[in-house]
Amino acid sequence: MTPSNATGQPGVIHLDETATRAELSTPWNVIVHNDPINLMNYVTMVLMRVFGYPRAKAKKMMLEVHTQGRSLVWSGGREQAEHYVHQLHGYQLLATMEKSET
Amino acid sequence: MIDLRVERLDEKHIRVSGLTAMLAVMLREMPEILELRDGPDASARLFPNPTTADDKINKEWQQMVSPELRHLFVAAAETVTRDLTALTGNQGAPGAYEVTFPVEHLSAWMSALNQTRLILAEVHKIDEEDMQRQDFDPQNPKHLAALRIHLLGYLLHLFVELENGHEPADSV
Repeated sequence: MTPSNATGQPGVIHLDETATRAELSTPWNVIVHNDPINLMNYVTMVLMRVFGYPRAKAKKMMLEVHTQGRSLVWSGGREQAEHYVHQLHGYQLLATMEKSET
Repeated sequence: MIDLRVERLDEKHIRVSGLTAMLAVMLREMPEILELRDGPDASARLFPNPTTADDKINKEWQQMVSPELRHLFVAAAETVTRDLTALTGNQGAPGAYEVTFPVEHLSAWMSALNQTRLILAEVHKIDEEDMQRQDFDPQNPKHLAALRIHLLGYLLHLFVELENGHEPADSV
């Protein structure tokens, strides 16, 4: 977030509100990527633990990772996306976050 | 015939029994393998970037988050290393080994086993094809690494199953 102009008053800056709102409202996707080492039942367990998904949903996402190479497992605010990616990395899953295009 | 078994011994302990001599050696070698986590290949896999294209976010992540992850991984490795000092021969099954550890160490065991498997894969450049291999040449270090990844993976699989057995039924 970069200030667009300064007010001249110490400690007071104006932000480009339109850009800031757009930035905040753009959802981020959390993606889990396939790797040849992580076990299928381990990945399912991690998705259940991190997101609280029921087993059937977690298993469906795991199979998508396995067959398609990646699965979009969550969408939402950037801060929460970072939190989830952090947790997934803690379980040694290959996970990234990216801005949603929609 | 030795049957590998993972079970809750009581409310506070998990016992792994029926470990073959080979698997016991592999477990004892885990701490040494885990020390390779900071090598260039293993490091990139264990501490990956959170985005594929945003250098600013990736840089901040490596400065702020990766040290925290490293601390988490080291703590799990230390827990398992301590537990492994109790790895002994089975009283009733010659040639088999067993180890008992506190229930609250289960997550550390899963983490350390998976870290070890991922580090071995990176160090030996193991890919999907290597993991599908049915024939193993005992003279080939890459084949041996893949075999080790599979065997440690089977133990990890049993830990996950144990964890699953204590979860509520699915609700969709």
